[in-house]
Amino acid sequence: MAQPHWKMAVDVNRCIGCHACSVACKVEHDVPLGSFRTKVYYYDEGQYPKVKRHFLPTMCMQCEDAPCLKVCPTKAIRKDADGVVRIDEQKCDSNGACAAACPYGAIWISTETGADKCDFCSNRLANKMQPACVETCPGDALVFGDANDPDSRYSKYMVQHGKEFTPIKPEAGTKPSVLFRGQNADIEKKIVAGQNHDPHTYEIENWASLKPPGKG
Amino acid sequence: MEKINRRTAIKTGLGALAGLSVGELIRLDPLMPGEAFAKAGDVVRNRPRRRIDYSKAKYVTSVCLNCSTVCGLIGTVIDGKLVKVAGNPNDPNNGFSLCAKGQASVLVSEYPERLLYPLKRAGKRGEGLWQRITWEEAHAEIARRIRSAMDQGVPEEVAIHIGRSRLGEEFGRFLSAIGSPTQLNHRALCSSAKRAANYISLGETDWETIDAERSKYFLNFGSNFYEAHQGAIHLARRVVKARAELGAKLVTFDVRLSNTAGRSDEWFAPTPGSEGAIALAMANVLLAENLQDSKFIATWCDLSEAEIRAFVAPYTPEWAAKESGVPAADIKRLAIEFGRAAPTCAAFTNRGSDAHYNGMHNSRAVVMLNAIVGSIGKPGGYCYGEEPRVPAFFADVEPRPPRPTRTSVLENPPEYPLANKWQRMRVGQLVYAYLKENRAKIQVYLSYTLASPTTWPEGRSLAVDVLKDESKIAFHACSDVVYSETAHYADMILPDAAYTERWGFDFRNNFALRRYVTLRQPMQKPPGECLSFADSLINIAKRLGPDVAKYYPFDSHEEQMRMRMQKHVFPSGENGWDFMRRTGVWNDMEQQTFHELYNWELTAKQLEGAKLDEATGFYRKAGADGVERVIGIRVDGKARRGFPTPSRKFTLRHPDLIEAGNKVGWPDDGLPRHVPIPAHADMPADRFHLVSFKWNVHTQGRTAPQKLLTEIVHDNPMWINTQTAASLGIKTGDDVEITTYRPKGATYQPTGEKVGSAVVRVVVMEGIHPRVLAVSNSLGHMYGGRAATAKSAPRGTNPSYSSDPKTEDSDLAERVWWDKAVGGKGAGFNINAILPIQPSPLVGMQGWYDTTCTIRKV
Repeated sequence: MAQPHWKMAVDVNRCIGCHACSVACKVEHDVPLGSFRTKVYYYDEGQYPKVKRHFLPTMCMQCEDAPCLKVCPTKAIRKDADGVVRIDEQKCDSNGACAAACPYGAIWISTETGADKCDFCSNRLANKMQPACVETCPGDALVFGDANDPDSRYSKYMVQHGKEFTPIKPEAGTKPSVLFRGQNADIEKKIVAGQNHDPHTYEIENWASLKPPGKG
Repeated sequence: MEKINRRTAIKTGLGALAGLSVGELIRLDPLMPGEAFAKAGDVVRNRPRRRIDYSKAKYVTSVCLNCSTVCGLIGTVIDGKLVKVAGNPNDPNNGFSLCAKGQASVLVSEYPERLLYPLKRAGKRGEGLWQRITWEEAHAEIARRIRSAMDQGVPEEVAIHIGRSRLGEEFGRFLSAIGSPTQLNHRALCSSAKRAANYISLGETDWETIDAERSKYFLNFGSNFYEAHQGAIHLARRVVKARAELGAKLVTFDVRLSNTAGRSDEWFAPTPGSEGAIALAMANVLLAENLQDSKFIATWCDLSEAEIRAFVAPYTPEWAAKESGVPAADIKRLAIEFGRAAPTCAAFTNRGSDAHYNGMHNSRAVVMLNAIVGSIGKPGGYCYGEEPRVPAFFADVEPRPPRPTRTSVLENPPEYPLANKWQRMRVGQLVYAYLKENRAKIQVYLSYTLASPTTWPEGRSLAVDVLKDESKIAFHACSDVVYSETAHYADMILPDAAYTERWGFDFRNNFALRRYVTLRQPMQKPPGECLSFADSLINIAKRLGPDVAKYYPFDSHEEQMRMRMQKHVFPSGENGWDFMRRTGVWNDMEQQTFHELYNWELTAKQLEGAKLDEATGFYRKAGADGVERVIGIRVDGKARRGFPTPSRKFTLRHPDLIEAGNKVGWPDDGLPRHVPIPAHADMPADRFHLVSFKWNVHTQGRTAPQKLLTEIVHDNPMWINTQTAASLGIKTGDDVEITTYRPKGATYQPTGEKVGSAVVRVVVMEGIHPRVLAVSNSLGHMYGGRAATAKSAPRGTNPSYSSDPKTEDSDLAERVWWDKAVGGKGAGFNINAILPIQPSPLVGMQGWYDTTCTIRKV
């Protein structure tokens, strides 16, 4: 079989903001409270009565030019041939440089097991299963598959809609493998570079704000 | 109550249950000062990275019950432990998809504060002091008390009061076997107005099944189906598909920017309870613009087009604009858009339009729009199926007990003649009020995951008062999974199997428009001595003597389920028991889909022995009981099913409504109409509407203990509109005192007097009607563990929790970041406590969104 290249497209038009991806991920990987591999951002835009609510599901972007990989002093991070950026738990010393370098807040540090982030559910890929977030998504907003296989759901979706998909935070220059369409232009500002998704961003007081939340 | 030596060592906390011996005492009320447990707990610090090894997995199908949508599940089980769930692709409604609550199913079995052993009250009711007992003792005492009520000739004084259970058939069997009709529920707190409106209009069923994936236009009156509607995900995924692939339009009327409203093509915030007025005006526009389906109306409506034109004539868009605040031009424009999309369009409702004094009337007016444009039953339209039920080939085990002949005002309050007209929806919010007024009493109260002090209107006052009063409820056994507020006021706690650990059939309206049924089966064994309440009832029944035990020719719920299924053999040769355990779902792929069910021709078999009444066109036939019933109507020269209403047509003037109105002195002309809400008429300028709502990650009472859901939403500040807040000098984070008032009109205690006051924090939002305040109804728990109560502490240092390291969770010990002690927002506020009981006329639906209030900055 040909070497797969795993990619994801997030069709935000189909997202209902339900957090199923985030919870499926936390159950799958036993991610502790306060840390996230996958998180959904909310942004309320406009003034009454013309108000819209925007969602943005995010995860590791599996960058082609991954800054986490470049800064890792113990060379624990690699980009594999299947396109997935993976962390070697044995080589990681929890120094945190990777988390600080990530523009997408995708990496959290466990003092027990090292750096951790989305790896497209590699344990599931190994058993021919879709990532947990993709499988559960009620709106089919997360489109995943092998970009090398023209019959994959991802490839077919991109043939039809590919021109409309772009990375978020393109100015970071990391060439993400996860692309988006339909998202509000400003909502990505809620993601703070260099720190894992702040759980306080979802507190309702912060829905209408693009600034990082103050705690408490 | 036996005398307790207070110097006996008393263990404290739910976690200590793991090490509790029979006869030992335990204190479970975290609000009471308890003696600290001997040793500080060891937090399990070693949290190895987990990668589920799917090569070792076994898969077990089951059904979710973390909300009422009941999605099919496939559980991943490794070494006997449920580690992950996915949607069951055989389930026609959800397929692979699950929402956040569904994904959290794994947590339900894992609560570190899970109830593990039967407990008996050892102090005063509500004191929180418990003694571990055996199941033998628990079942024997319950049986003794039930037998006593039966021997006194008052079996109706034995009640089962259920939260969401999906065990209604099992509970009904038990109560029928002892002769009690008193099966209480919470349907009037949920959806009875919507259901009544569908029964009145369609006759066939209580819940529509919009053929959403083929639809082009959705007029949504108050349903937040992106988050919380029954069948939410089932409908949402199809609406998303229709919008993305067919360019369908979604228009939402809701007083608050729900996620559904926030993602709709257009959102309008009407005055609460004015949705029916908008729909009536739309009906007026549709007919004025000649967008009606004249053939459907002539063939299938009980009123002629001329009669409909006449009764909707006064309801102009300008009139509706005054009632609702929605501009007349928008009402007209949307009605025309809707009519032009026919028949691939659907207008529908849910709690936003229905949880009102006039909810049933609002919902009828909305359903009528579908009839006017002829989208009823059409592909892409307002479809519905037969009433979903367990198929006859899985019928319950014989002999089945007869229906009880005794009656109970708790189950059938005469003031609400439509509450039990079509199905036994009842008026659950009146149970405690009627007990307090001595209109009934209860000797044995069996509550099942009810959480009424948390979820009932006036729950923390009236419900708690009655639950504490032994003269109103002589004995209360509570079956629950966690230490809820209901459990706190019980005399006995029966630790239940979670829905992931027990049996049952399930079904909802099926969006594939076919018959189907699903099987809930245990994905793992329950911990400790937890036992499904269905098994408890079997054990109790067998102790009640031969007159009851004869209805229980099985020893367990599993055996009962097996007996129901194994006698049926599918064409493949596989019996029902094996088939259902393997696939989880039976779909009837041989029937035609339920599109245009009213138009179905009666089969030769159905017509066997039927008589045609030439005057009415009705076909009548005697049933198995010898009673003659209408089974169809002649249309276009053919015998067709029609609508099972008295007219056999889609019904706009319903005789039962007129009769019910006359019976209780609240006249109704039987037509869809606008009923002004009495408490809202001439509302003083300083009054606001107070509404509640559900989040996508929570149900009303049961999800807060699940840490991954409560991590997302744990706090519920009160929404207030930006302009309104500015005019009152209120900003986000301020505390305000809110005071609520009783309703007026034809309802319970219509005095307009003060109900209660509370101090709540506010959040200033753009997405809410300027005269409306909104607080979610899922939070503010006093019990239910550390996630629900926002307490981050090792169990060993908290007097409520044990120091057993095996069942400790380092998340709850160290990482409950929403704990106020570590800078979080806390566990929220219970708004239900100050919302008045207000059943709607005729049906009894709780007017959750009718409350008026004043606010004052503290």
